[in-house]
Amino acid sequence: MSMTKEETRPDRRSFLKALSVGAAGASAVAGLATPVEAVAAESASDKRKKRYRETDHVKAFYRTNRY
Amino acid sequence: MLIKRLSGSSRGSRGRGAPVVATQASAVLDRRSFLARSGLAAGGLAGLSALGFTSMRKAQAAAGFDAKAPVKLVKNICTHCSVGCTVTAEVQNGVWVGQEPAWDSPINRGTHCAKGAAIREIVHGDRRLKYPLKLVNGEYQRISWEQALSEISAKMMEIRAKSGPESVWWLGSAKFSNEGAYLFRKMGAFWGTNSVDHQARICHSTTVAGVANTWGYGAQTNSYNDIRNAKTAIIMGGNPAEAHPVSLQHVLTGKELNRANLIVIDPRLTRTAAHATEYVRIRSGTDIPVIYGMLWHIFENGWEDKKFIEQRVYAMDDVRAEVKKWDPKTVEDVTGVPGEQLKRVAELFAKERPSTLIWCMGATQHTVGTANVRAYCILLLATGNVGAPGTGANIFRGHTNVQGATDLGVDVVTLPLYYGLDDNAWKHWARVWDVDFNWLDSRFDKKPGPNNTTINFRTVPGIPSTRWFDAVSLPKDQVDQNDNLKAAIVFGHGGNTVPRIPEMTKGLAALDLLVVADPHPTNFVSLGGRKNGTYLLPISTQLECSGSRTASNRSIQWGEKIVEPIFESANDYWVIYKLAEKLGFADKMFKNIKMVKGKFGDEPEAESILREINRGGWSTGYCGQSPERIKAHMANQGKFDVRTLRSPSDGSEISGDYYGLPWPCWGTPEMKHPGTPILYNTNLHVKDGGGAFRARFGVERVVKVKVQENGAEVEKERKDNLLAEGSYSLGSDLKDGYPEFTLAVLQKLGWDSELTAEERAIIEKSGPSWSTDLSGGIQRVAIAHGCVPFGNAKARANAWNLPDPVPVHREPIYTPRVDLVAKYPTRPDFKSFRVPNIGFSVQKAAVDKGIAKEFPMILSSGRLVEYEGGGEETRSNKWLAELQQDMFVEINPRDAAERGIAEGQFVWVYGPESSSKIRVKALVTERVGKGVAWMPFHFGGWYQGADQRGNYPKGTDPIVLGESVNTVTTYGFDPVTAMHEGKVTLCQIKAA
Amino acid sequence: MARMKFLCDADRCIECNACVTACKNENDVPWGINRRRVVTINDGKPGERSVSMACMHCTDAPCAAVCPVDCFYTTEDAVVLHSKELCIGCGYCFYACPFGAPQYPKVGNFGSRGKMDKCTYCAGGPEDDLSAAEQAAYGSNRLAEGKLPLCAEMCSTKALLAGDHEMISEIYKERVSKRGYGSGAWGWKTAYKETINV
Repeated sequence: MSMTKEETRPDRRSFLKALSVGAAGASAVAGLATPVEAVAAESASDKRKKRYRETDHVKAFYRTNRY
Repeated sequence: MLIKRLSGSSRGSRGRGAPVVATQASAVLDRRSFLARSGLAAGGLAGLSALGFTSMRKAQAAAGFDAKAPVKLVKNICTHCSVGCTVTAEVQNGVWVGQEPAWDSPINRGTHCAKGAAIREIVHGDRRLKYPLKLVNGEYQRISWEQALSEISAKMMEIRAKSGPESVWWLGSAKFSNEGAYLFRKMGAFWGTNSVDHQARICHSTTVAGVANTWGYGAQTNSYNDIRNAKTAIIMGGNPAEAHPVSLQHVLTGKELNRANLIVIDPRLTRTAAHATEYVRIRSGTDIPVIYGMLWHIFENGWEDKKFIEQRVYAMDDVRAEVKKWDPKTVEDVTGVPGEQLKRVAELFAKERPSTLIWCMGATQHTVGTANVRAYCILLLATGNVGAPGTGANIFRGHTNVQGATDLGVDVVTLPLYYGLDDNAWKHWARVWDVDFNWLDSRFDKKPGPNNTTINFRTVPGIPSTRWFDAVSLPKDQVDQNDNLKAAIVFGHGGNTVPRIPEMTKGLAALDLLVVADPHPTNFVSLGGRKNGTYLLPISTQLECSGSRTASNRSIQWGEKIVEPIFESANDYWVIYKLAEKLGFADKMFKNIKMVKGKFGDEPEAESILREINRGGWSTGYCGQSPERIKAHMANQGKFDVRTLRSPSDGSEISGDYYGLPWPCWGTPEMKHPGTPILYNTNLHVKDGGGAFRARFGVERVVKVKVQENGAEVEKERKDNLLAEGSYSLGSDLKDGYPEFTLAVLQKLGWDSELTAEERAIIEKSGPSWSTDLSGGIQRVAIAHGCVPFGNAKARANAWNLPDPVPVHREPIYTPRVDLVAKYPTRPDFKSFRVPNIGFSVQKAAVDKGIAKEFPMILSSGRLVEYEGGGEETRSNKWLAELQQDMFVEINPRDAAERGIAEGQFVWVYGPESSSKIRVKALVTERVGKGVAWMPFHFGGWYQGADQRGNYPKGTDPIVLGESVNTVTTYGFDPVTAMHEGKVTLCQIKAA
Repeated sequence: MARMKFLCDADRCIECNACVTACKNENDVPWGINRRRVVTINDGKPGERSVSMACMHCTDAPCAAVCPVDCFYTTEDAVVLHSKELCIGCGYCFYACPFGAPQYPKVGNFGSRGKMDKCTYCAGGPEDDLSAAEQAAYGSNRLAEGKLPLCAEMCSTKALLAGDHEMISEIYKERVSKRGYGSGAWGWKTAYKETINV
């Protein structure tokens, strides 16, 4: 009933279908494109460096997860 | 600034943490808009990856983004259910580029369900209607707004001249903002018909009728947040884990904090039931026996709240008499619930208080919908569980603003805010609208009635959404108006949410004019069958429109337009205004409403419309929520407590307010009433949101009783007191029950001297009652004395004005238990809402013909989390559509085995009327019991096995199509509200 | 050092799929690629439980162990990322991963694999933080923006926790003690059997 003709598993969320490669999907996929050229690559140490910080935003997440 | 190493770089960044970022990349943001402009859809992106990164960047550049554009955060309200989640949108250069969690909202605290988290896609709008369309000999042609509205209005005027105003039928929307809903109802009034309806008919009309007839107002008494305070919660006929997922945040938190009992009573082991402490499976359509089965144990063991009943409930003894009939054995036979289980549940509900009862459409969508709701209320009253934190009738309503649209009278039985349709109501609104009452009267049809009377359609309830196609197709003499319906003007309403689609299709084909004003074409279009006289108007979503929305808990929130309406779509305000202009009454209708510059020129200003609502909204306490106050709440969301919804008393502009000023918010905005988070709560002062049961039904009831006098039976009058006894809200000067406030009551109490001269002058010109006094003086003085303007009465266990004053069990029209029909028949045939309701004849014929043998399975329907309503909008959303690609029927493994049906295969589901059938996939599951089938109601676009994708105008077909369950659902209507029977019919299933 | 973790509180998860669509929305993940999904066991039966699954950002990641081109790397936040530039789309990681995290776009008519895609913990990839290239190939980099993965941030019932492992385990412990019953954490009963309570 979806536009894709391919057979999908009928269970409610058909999650398993996602495991089979592209089963649910479009005939081709855009987005998350693979860069053709190497752009703006970070150095080996830069790409590993710490990014997480306990900002107000992050604190709000923790706060609203508590009782 | 949160971005590393980026300042001065020519490369871009989304940089969305800070509200304003100087270095935005053109390249990053608009891949989405590139896709939109390319016209490619999610399901068919063939070839795009071939573009590669480089060429995509070129395309982005062409889109013309300003790299330096700042990010603006805009708050609106999710349009998918009544919880009222704040959506925080990131907008850049007029494009909605992302969503962030709205941590500050006390309602959703940053969270969303699948629909809310995907809501941005809706304004991406790949599959939206893009411009007005007209059907010409079966082909859609693009036309201008001007042409569309000119032709539509000309046709309407032609129908008006030939058949009268009642032949035009108006179907509005629970997605309207309050202002849109109000304008739509006002439009109906100015056009001259009460046939103005919306989704509330099919979701909670029976709740509104049942609850309002019990204690005063038809709304959720408490709030989602307040469920955190409950020690026992019963969810009966509702599946909020799918229908209202964010509400589960409060339900589950409360369950954990209080170690509360969470009991789910449902025919289906729902996803909500998976989190319950106890699950009770019942046979569909036996709610009243289940409730009475509980009350049987409660009364038998003396677990009822005697003081509460004595002080605040009228005629509980009448209920006791009915309950006596429902001993555990009888209950088990009718409902399938073992007596011991029901006893346990009853004891928990009565003893482990506070207890709340939560319900949804499992209760309401029945031929006994109103009676079900009444029974639920009676259970709450018997156990003293109304009017305090953690208690109450927590009615989860469906759409974003179904509460608001109901309040504002998009309903065939009333003008805005429940004033009804009598002369007093019309005169009140004529004063508010500043129009001549006689002119309004002249807009309506008249018809000779019996005994030389005249029927004035101004005072007659209109045709509801469940019956409109009957009013098109039935012989003229069976429809109680001057002519059949000839035109349907549909704003924001699906066509597949009402049973009997085969009949609807006939009605649809017979209409002279069909206008569908919606972001999507809807099932009204996909069903096909029309060649001409059809107009599709692209209406923007509410995300592209400013205005207020009322959540289920009566909190009013202001949504800010996130982006301009996309493509050629326009908001409701402008379209209604332009249509009124074409119909010749815009000058009168918008007399006191400010116009501002909009997308297509002048349009009514939302704030100004809300002010007009405030000026007339006394009856429901819609008078204190000025746009300024509501906006201040949105700006200070973080201040409100998640459990009480109250802000601290800190002297600020929102000091001491409850979030969203839940109605009733008494008096003028200047009076600064904080709103009422819990209705009928005597533990608080009225000034702090306290209240009592409403004195809506007079101060006493005269009952004719037969008594023995001197050996002979004589008829005597008994006068029953309806006012509360010894119960009153905190700080009340009147320490007992009292009637609703009028000028006369004030005079009697000697309080009238406290009215100002100005107030007095206005009262003399308007009405002398708390609900019609346009000055607000009567409310002000009553509240100054700690009194509730609407009085202090008892709730009614016996609602003598309803068809079944004390609820009684009645078997569904199509029931598998034909042996019970003789004892519990549906109500006799009668005329209701201008058309015949022949439920009794249908039930009798079904029994006589042995339908239950041929169609042995109960068929029920409900919601999925990914989709909403008729589903056109959500099935067009690629992020949601991917998760739920097939229409299906749930069938028990034993039923499947008997029929040789394998999981996942196509089956035919046959309905007992109109030789109807649908082709869907089988989902074999124990979620449903043996003999029960269940289907979601969000699908459309297939009809009796045929794919109708071709019926959609090009590019507007939803990604996922499927059969509509309502193709096989059947006849049956609640006697009070004409609610359809959506939860019980019969079917047969065979492998396809 | 703060180690980033996901924890799904199965007593709260109602399979509403907000995490799934939030991920799609935030990272513009195309149809057919599921960085995150909700798994339900005992569907429709007593004992039905759901858990939201994505890349678990393993400490000793099997995907990295089997990768022939060594495209994986672990950041100081303990997030497992990979380079699509290095990835050859061989699919070894798909077989190695116990959670089904690696996803492949279907390109061409013969179903050959494209570059692997998976949950990045909303932390982008090896391109410059928040650059166009990073956004296009990996989606958002919320960690660099001082935020957490949007799936967890938007979870309807606050079931999906993300962030510093110490913080989320503290939050989770508090929940268990307030509830007064055993852990609803995924896999707890498998690891410790019914008899062990928290």
